[in-house]
Amino acid sequence: MSYYDIDDIIGDSQRLPCKFNTDAKGLGWLEGNPGKDMKSGTKLELPFWISEILAISTISSDSDITFIELLQPDALNKKVLNAIKTSSISLDLHSISTNYYSLVEKWAGLYNDEELVQVIGDMLKERSDEINNYAQNFKGNQQESGFLYSLDEFEKKLYKITHESYKNLKKWLNNQ
Amino acid sequence: MSLPNDLKITLSPQEVEFLTESEMITILPRYSMNKLELITDDIPKLMAMHRIQVPLWYALILKQQRKCSIVPPNWLNHKSLKEFFQSEVTELNQFSKLPHNWLELSKIFFENAADDLSDEPAKLKSLIQDLKELRLIKVKKGLSLINESHLQLDNLSILEINEIRPFVVEVMGKLTKLKQVITNEIDEDRLEDRDNDDDLME
Repeated sequence: MSYYDIDDIIGDSQRLPCKFNTDAKGLGWLEGNPGKDMKSGTKLELPFWISEILAISTISSDSDITFIELLQPDALNKKVLNAIKTSSISLDLHSISTNYYSLVEKWAGLYNDEELVQVIGDMLKERSDEINNYAQNFKGNQQESGFLYSLDEFEKKLYKITHESYKNLKKWLNNQ
Repeated sequence: MSLPNDLKITLSPQEVEFLTESEMITILPRYSMNKLELITDDIPKLMAMHRIQVPLWYALILKQQRKCSIVPPNWLNHKSLKEFFQSEVTELNQFSKLPHNWLELSKIFFENAADDLSDEPAKLKSLIQDLKELRLIKVKKGLSLINESHLQLDNLSILEINEIRPFVVEVMGKLTKLKQVITNEIDEDRLEDRDNDDDLME
């Protein structure tokens, strides 16, 4: 991924729920408690770029306890995955997470979750097929369809370039 | 960087048309003309009413000046196109063997040399249109088999590949990325195992 890839940057700043394993001095303002310390056991949502580091680094060199413990985000829980397995096309992915695929990539990378990748891969195949169908319609985004509003950022980009490509050929064939 | 996105990821139809114009085609000149030596191509000596092969762009210039008639390729007539159409209908799992530039070439003919065609241009045009749509449906069927490493669609023309390229590249890229997340991890494990083995050897 490129340093300038704006989607990667946005993906990195997605928040994950996590639990503090230790007291943090002076961080009470994070939970609306300015000036106080944060107790261990507090649950907070932190951006991926920092939670990733804190979840693997230990408090001190001779202990096994990490600073925080990552909790499973709502977007990846059983309920959502079951919804994906049953009917991925009618799912409103955009409302679950605007950068769903990058979230999955990062999460699966951390936990080496093969099953998750399998499920999401199948979903991508099904949904991309549907995106292709919509992209061939030359009304563009004036089509009345809830599906186009349920796309996440990657799928939107996919829809756009696919539609553009079909449109260009059609234009050329009609001499416009 | 300032290039529009659709020009970065694929060729535009206009670019493909330009490439086709450098291919050879048979013409029937009405005048004689001496040989022309150009930097890239040599245009052979033209003799009136003798068939000869020249680059398509040159044939088009002569045609505009009414100095030749272009001989249509052997597939661009009602009978052959009908056959292609038939094979497209009967063989549902493969594409008929149309030449790789059938869309561009037929379009150039319809626009510049319609009077040289042996059949009615309107009929041919609608046949070409039908072929295009039929093949697009097949392409769509083929695309549902997409995976991260491999997609095979034989006998597809340049323009047809161009049309689906942005979609295919993007989806396969994402699938690869998803798979990589897992395989990277495994590779690292293997590396570590090897390191451990080395330690043991020492």
